[in-house]
Amino acid sequence: MSARTAPVTAWTSAQRVVAQPGGLLMTAVIDAMVVAVLAGVWRAAAGANGGTIAGYSAAAVTWYIATSEAGTISMNSRLIDDIGTDIASGAIAVELLRPVSVLRQRLLVEFGRVLPRLAVCIATGFIVARLTGGRLPSGSAALLAVPSLVLAIACNIVAQHVFAAGSFWLRESRAMWFLYQKLVFMLGGMLIPLEVFPSWLRTMAVMTPFPSMAYTPARLASGHFEPGLLGVQVAWLAVLGGVAAFVFGRGERRLQVIGG
Amino acid sequence: MADASGIVAGMGMTVERLTKTFQVGRRSHRRTIEAVRGISFAIERGERVAYIGPNGAGKSTSIKILTGILHPTGGQATVLGIVPWQQRRVLAARIGALFGQRSMLWIELTPRQSLHMLAAIYDLDRNRERRRIGDLASLLGATDLLDTPVRNLSLGQRMRCELAACMLHEPEVLFLDEPTIGLDLLAKQLFRELLVHLNAEHDTTIFLTSHDVADIEHVAKRAIVINHGEVIYDDSVATMRRTLLSTKVIEVGLIAPMAALDAPGVTTHAHTDRGMKLVVDTAVTSIREVLDALLDGPALGDITVVDPPLEDVIASIYTRPRP
Repeated sequence: MSARTAPVTAWTSAQRVVAQPGGLLMTAVIDAMVVAVLAGVWRAAAGANGGTIAGYSAAAVTWYIATSEAGTISMNSRLIDDIGTDIASGAIAVELLRPVSVLRQRLLVEFGRVLPRLAVCIATGFIVARLTGGRLPSGSAALLAVPSLVLAIACNIVAQHVFAAGSFWLRESRAMWFLYQKLVFMLGGMLIPLEVFPSWLRTMAVMTPFPSMAYTPARLASGHFEPGLLGVQVAWLAVLGGVAAFVFGRGERRLQVIGG
Repeated sequence: MADASGIVAGMGMTVERLTKTFQVGRRSHRRTIEAVRGISFAIERGERVAYIGPNGAGKSTSIKILTGILHPTGGQATVLGIVPWQQRRVLAARIGALFGQRSMLWIELTPRQSLHMLAAIYDLDRNRERRRIGDLASLLGATDLLDTPVRNLSLGQRMRCELAACMLHEPEVLFLDEPTIGLDLLAKQLFRELLVHLNAEHDTTIFLTSHDVADIEHVAKRAIVINHGEVIYDDSVATMRRTLLSTKVIEVGLIAPMAALDAPGVTTHAHTDRGMKLVVDTAVTSIREVLDALLDGPALGDITVVDPPLEDVIASIYTRPRP
């Protein structure tokens, strides 16, 4: 794989999404609705609790929700199912005909596909949060939230490939998709900041990669200048990448031995 | 000449006693299916070969082995001197594959955008990429199509662009699995001409599977027929047509009504006042005897002797009893 393969693949994939402005508009509308409603609920809860909830002010929790939703709404929500279907149907076998790693190519394609949607969700979330929640709690922490969001979607895409690789053996991905959704939803801090969790659940959550997919950028955008969180994301990305390479490698070999 | 590893220089493909078995069913009812049962053949570079057989004959499995997608259970094979399942990515850079309706082009984008990405995947620098796209567009008559979104192209136009996509990196061998399926007659004809042209211009080895007899007739010079996982015929298409069936078709034009010809081994397939079509089993009655009988009659206006359709020849190979 040459140096230009990765950027060209991601860029070409991004162009597919940009070529459908209607889809991007719908993403923006959904993001605005979800952020407005959820952030409104959290602001009401903070108001009823004396102005803060689990240490988050009404403004902070608004930016938290806007950021965590940007990282999740921009993703293809059925990615595991899509990959699983390609594996189970044997369609993925055709990708073995290219002189590049199937996994790396798929990750690049998906990353490119998410980036335009992420840009739209960041812009939409910024406008909605600014209008309903007020100013950003901390400019410097928010600056860290942008690379953190990129790392969050990278972790999410790689993790979904790990879960989808189960289809090489199970020939089915619906259950994996369902399980994954629930894990990100519950342990990732997508809708609820981890600080709201009971301590045992919070301890359990931070030992998993799921907070790196939603909680971390949201925590930064909500005014917590904690650069070490990016290091945790990078570490999880490396671990997930290694696991994905291992299971996909085993899966491809299984495909090659038992048939597509 | 074979080197120490058994690789034959100048060969496009060598296949020796290749086998592939699959285990299917649950543990308690597990059974073994022999998809490929010891096939052997060799193909020289630049050959145009039809690899044909009925559904379930083992074609797809053997093609997947030859392209490195599947590991065989036994036997040996090389493509361009490379063992496909051992060096899949190295081989992938030197072969092209067009698998039926599986597209290499993204429908939301123009073919040029997808070709740009494929050029990066195949490590073509920008100059080579521009030159190849220009050459292929001109060769395939696709210059005007390259900047139209794929979703707006007809199937025939899309297939021309698909061919450009699989030829972009100048592959030495092209694997084509049902490449003309779904195309209209004119598009099929154009596609076949393109394949022959590519082979003539670039000496590209063509390995084609198709259920469309016209694809075989117009593109391939040699046919390898596989059934029940075994090679059951391997010879030139012309020889296959000429020698395999002991029947000839005689089409007779009449200037006056004529009685049906009653001779052993002669079957009348159509008979009107203006003509008739006879199928002659030459193992029973010679063509000369039939022609003599027809020429003796006063009503003969025109006569044509032709080989039976290739479709019938292939069907007869498929239905031969297994040894």
